This record gives sequence, structure tokens and C-alpha cells, in this order.
Amino acid sequence: MAALTLDGVTKLFTDDDGSDIVAVDDVNVDIEDGEFLVLVGPSGCGKSTTLRMVAGLETVTEGEITLEGRRINDKSPADRDIAMVFQSYALYPHMTVRENMSFGLEESTDLGEDAISDRVEESTEMMGIADLLDRKPAELSGGQQQRVALGRAIVRDPSAFLMDEPLSNLDAKLRATMRTELQRIQEDLGVTTIYVTHDQTEAMTMGDRIAILNDGVLQQVGAPLECYHTPNNLFVAGFIGDPSMNFFETEVDGETLVGDGFTYPLTAAQRDAVGDSRNITLGVRPEDIDIEVGGRADAAHEYEATVDVVEPRGDENTIHLTFDAMAAGSETFTATVSGLRQLQAGDSVVVGFPPEAIHLFDSDTEQALHNRSLETAEAAEYAV
Amino acid sequence: MSYETTASDDTETRSLFGYPLRRVALYGVLGAMTVFYLVPIETGLMTAITNPDTYTGTYPYLPPLEPLIPGTGEFSLGPWSTAFDGLKSGLVNSLILVVPATILSGLLGSMAAFGLTTISWRGQIGIYILFVAGIFIPYQAVLVPLTQFWYNVVPLRVVFEPFALAVPFIEPYHWKLVALIVTHVAYGLPICTLLFRAHYKKLSDEMIEAARLDGASIYRIYRRIILPLSIPMFAVVFIYQFTQIWNDLLFALTIVQFGDAAVVTQELVGIGVSQSGTNFPLRMAAALLAALPTLLVYVFFGDKFAKGVAA
Repeated sequence: MAALTLDGVTKLFTDDDGSDIVAVDDVNVDIEDGEFLVLVGPSGCGKSTTLRMVAGLETVTEGEITLEGRRINDKSPADRDIAMVFQSYALYPHMTVRENMSFGLEESTDLGEDAISDRVEESTEMMGIADLLDRKPAELSGGQQQRVALGRAIVRDPSAFLMDEPLSNLDAKLRATMRTELQRIQEDLGVTTIYVTHDQTEAMTMGDRIAILNDGVLQQVGAPLECYHTPNNLFVAGFIGDPSMNFFETEVDGETLVGDGFTYPLTAAQRDAVGDSRNITLGVRPEDIDIEVGGRADAAHEYEATVDVVEPRGDENTIHLTFDAMAAGSETFTATVSGLRQLQAGDSVVVGFPPEAIHLFDSDTEQALHNRSLETAEAAEYAV
Repeated sequence: MSYETTASDDTETRSLFGYPLRRVALYGVLGAMTVFYLVPIETGLMTAITNPDTYTGTYPYLPPLEPLIPGTGEFSLGPWSTAFDGLKSGLVNSLILVVPATILSGLLGSMAAFGLTTISWRGQIGIYILFVAGIFIPYQAVLVPLTQFWYNVVPLRVVFEPFALAVPFIEPYHWKLVALIVTHVAYGLPICTLLFRAHYKKLSDEMIEAARLDGASIYRIYRRIILPLSIPMFAVVFIYQFTQIWNDLLFALTIVQFGDAAVVTQELVGIGVSQSGTNFPLRMAAALLAALPTLLVYVFFGDKFAKGVAA
């Protein structure tokens, strides 16, 4: 039992001129025992500060952090029963791998030498670094250092792991491997984990739940697909997903939305959701846009567009489109199509925004008014 | 561009005995500078192994080979043994002074830098500024207060005497060396702290945080993380402080003044000087003898020193 709770956690920094800067603003998250929570957001959003408050490296200005039901706000980092993995790995350069991993046990437990040695060897085997025990960090590759840093956390057998962008210094291929391995280890150990990253792909693929933070304010906490398909607001919709969701500024005119060069008729349910809002941001994900070459825009949700740039990715192509190729500064949007479809820059196409796949946001409050329907989505088996 | 290439090609092609002229000039200058720097030392060494009775009228830079070559003086190690006898107590006093003073100033400097850099607390900048200001206090300004302090303000002598009588090998006059040790440590501390601080600022904050999360106390972090990582900087500080303290004459004259506690630099002043004239071989031997420990320190700590300077 090691549930971790953040209740109204706030952090104020005092600037040089005496004014307060809110780094983290009233964050509430309940992390269940054994859960893998990913804290994601752009740089400077307060995610690392939040993690450091849980670790005890920063003081908590307001609010309460509890671990296993006990308040840990005022405990020293050493007494919190947590282990942290740092972005820079933070290994002790003058110690061997064995000494690096024993250090925490020597400093914080009464275990004898043999017991420490057993535990260190056990976790190095788990991390696949048993043959590196007598090397110094400088003699290890980045990936190996990363494993030692993880091993150093595992060997402590803590109630919670805190990870601060642990994979961001690895190359792309190794990062993907470590991502799965990290998930496997966390599942095996069943230790409650907070994982901080700015990379939404890591957040989507690794987390049991993800918590999205922007400007110190928690935007949404939920399962990855929940955040993907039913974002709370414009920020979450734009942050989760790569390439990002397309947004179009529109105004409500009766039963339709009028945008820059197009009109979009709403269904009755969508019109109800819009209510009294006047300015609506229409959102549609790139993979939901239908593209037909050479046809004519005759249906209600179809528009003529021109292919601007094609980015081939192999499995799929990212197509940058524009409604009016002639008008300078005309809005562009992206769509993804199968990698086998041949499209060229300059092609005239017809794009369709299926009514069941669109999201509507209030442009002023940025809150979601209507999210895509999940019944017809490909992820139909997923229920919110 | 092409003009420059042609010009340099021209110089390369000019040659002397088949070597490019530029290279010949370079080695010529280097050779001359080597001679310029080494001649005084060579002269000192040659003078120091000449029999003082046969020294007058010789060329000091020639080796003493009297029976073979007349007018060069007779070979003798006599000046060295006389110098050693004359400097013996000074060398011992200097060693008693320099070893603890060097170690203490390095250790305290490292601790102070750790406290002022790695740990953050309110008011540390103010304290640090005091340390830095300490570097700029001129020696001349403290000479009189220093004498007053050790002779009139602090009753070190009275406290030290019963202790000295009770412990073997410790003599009552050693109190002056204790005073000198404390003075040198206090004066060396600011620069040592500054050197260590520069080193500690480069250590990763995350590493210190990792150690805190691992359960290490402030003292344990210093002992197990900071201290082992400071070894190259200790070499720099040790060499610097050893040389400074060993070569110091001003504080020794101020605090020791005269008597049994005189250090080697004080004894060096008077050796080989009498009314009948100056005994140059003896003075040279004594000077080389007095300089030897600093040379040895460079030899032993040199490689670590290089690492520390590069760090």
C-alpha cells in the first residue's frame, strides 16, 4: 500500500524584486498503489517542481503531500521512502557501479555488507548490468549509465519512484527500448511511480494515467486515450497527439460554424453543446480528415483544398494542406494518410471533416464543449 | 589569401644547412632562453660544491676541477654539510610549521567552500564576501596588530608551557610555531576557499540531491562525495600553500622574531655572512637546501596538480 496523494499543492517562488511567481498552482492528484502516473507538459510548466516537492528537494508553499496516508510535507528527503532518477543520471563519478548502488543502502539502512551486496547484485541482474559492477560511470555508455541510475533507485526498494525525464538523454532507438523495459520493471515491482516528461509520446505509451500540466495548473488527469479522445480543453487537445490536432477559428451562425473560407454545419447534438457561445474553435485530428483526389466538394462537410507539403514517414504521410493556395498567409492544416498513397505538392484534393470526429471548444474560455463521438471511432472498444 | 601563402612558402624555402630558416631561428631563441634561465641555478650549484678557501677569484659557473684545471677552485661537499648543520633547527621548525598549516588550510578551505557553495542557507553571500575581502588585506597592515595579538592579547604562551613540559618532544618555544600555524591558516583560508568553491560550483547539483535522497547527511555527503572528488584541487592548494608558507619570512620575523623557534628562511638570512666576508659556497648550498622541499612537493604532487589546474 503506497498510494501517493497531492492535495492542493502550490509552490510560490519569490522573484528578485520581491514579487511572487506561481510555479505550481493548486495541483490535486491521487495516485493509486502501483500506478504509473506520467506528469507531462511543456518546459517551464511546473512538472519538475511538482516532482521535486514530492521528493522533498523543494518546500511546499501550500497543500499537502501524503504517502501511504502519512503526511510527508515536512520530512527530509531521506525519510520519505522514495527514490528518484534524474535526467543527468547523477551518478557518483568516483564510485564503481557497485558502490553507486550500495551508497543509498549504506546511508539509509542498517543492512550488513552481505545483505547489501545481495540486493545490489539482484537488481543489477534485473537491469542486465551484472557484468559492469566494478566499472566507474565514465567507463559506461549513456544507456548503461541510465540502467545504473535506475538500478540505484530499484535497489532501495522504495514506496515510490520519482523519475525526472530519465530517458531524454538517450538516442531515439535506445529510448524506445528503455521505455518498454521501464514499463516492464515498474509492472514487475508494482511500485507507485511518477514520471515527468515533456514528450507526449512517452506520456501516451507509458502511463497508466497521464496528468497534463500547463503554467503550473493541472489541465486534465486521465488514461492516455481518454485525454486523447476527450480532452478537457484546447491545451490538452493541442498538446496530446503528434502531429497536433488542427484548430480552426469560427463564429456561430445559426446551425453552422463560419470559418475563414469555409462553413461547417453542426448536428443537433453539437448545436446543443455549443449553447450560447459565439466564438468556437473547431478541432479535428489529422488522421480523421478524409482526403479524395480530384473529386468535387459536394457533401456538407467537404471542402476543396490544395496540398502544400508532403512529409513521408514510411508508415504514413503527413500532408500539409491549405484551403486557398492563392491567398498569402492562408491557414494551413495537416492530415495523415497511409504511406502508400501518392500525393504531390500542388495537388487539388477534397477534404472531409467527418461530423462524428470533430471537437468543439469555446474560443474564449478554451474549454471543450463537445468531443468526438467514440462509437464510430476506430478505438470503439475503448469506453470512457 | 594566395599572397599570404606565397609569402610563407618563401620563408620556408630559405634554409640553413638544409633546415628551414624559421625553424633554426625558433630553436636558437629557445636555446638562448634555456641558457638564460638555467645559468643562475647552474652557477649556484657549481659554487655550492667549491671549497670556500679556494673560491676567491674563480669563475663561479665553471665546475670546480682544481688539480686538473687551475683557477676553477677545489671540489668539496663541505659547504653542504656546514649549511645543513647551520639550517638544521630551522628546517625542523619549518617542517613543524608547514605540514599542519598546509593540511589545515586545505581542509578548512574545502569545508568552508562546501558550506558556502553546495549547501544553501540565508546570508551565505555575506559570509562569502567576507572571505573574498580577506584576500585583499595587505600583509603590512596586520604586522603590528599580529604582534600585539600573539604577545599581549592571547595568552598562548602561558597556556602552552605546562602542556609542552608534560609532552615529550614538545618544547616551550613551540608556542611561537603554533601561533605561526594559526596565522598562516587564517591568511591562506580565503584563497583556498575561493579555489575549492570554483571547483564545487562545477559539481552537479543533481548528484548532491541524489545523495540527499539516498539518505546521506551533510557531513556524509562531504566525506563520501565531495572530499574524494576534491583530490586534484587539494593537490593545487597543497602545492600553493606549502610554497607560500615555506618561503614566508615576514610573518616569521613578526611572530617568531628570534630564538629557538626560528624557521629556515630566518636562518638563511644570516648564514655565511661574517665580518671577514661572505662565504658564497656556503650561502649557495644553504639556499639550495632551503629550496629543496618545495621542489620535492612539486615532484610528488605535480601530476595531480596538472589535473587540478585543468579541472
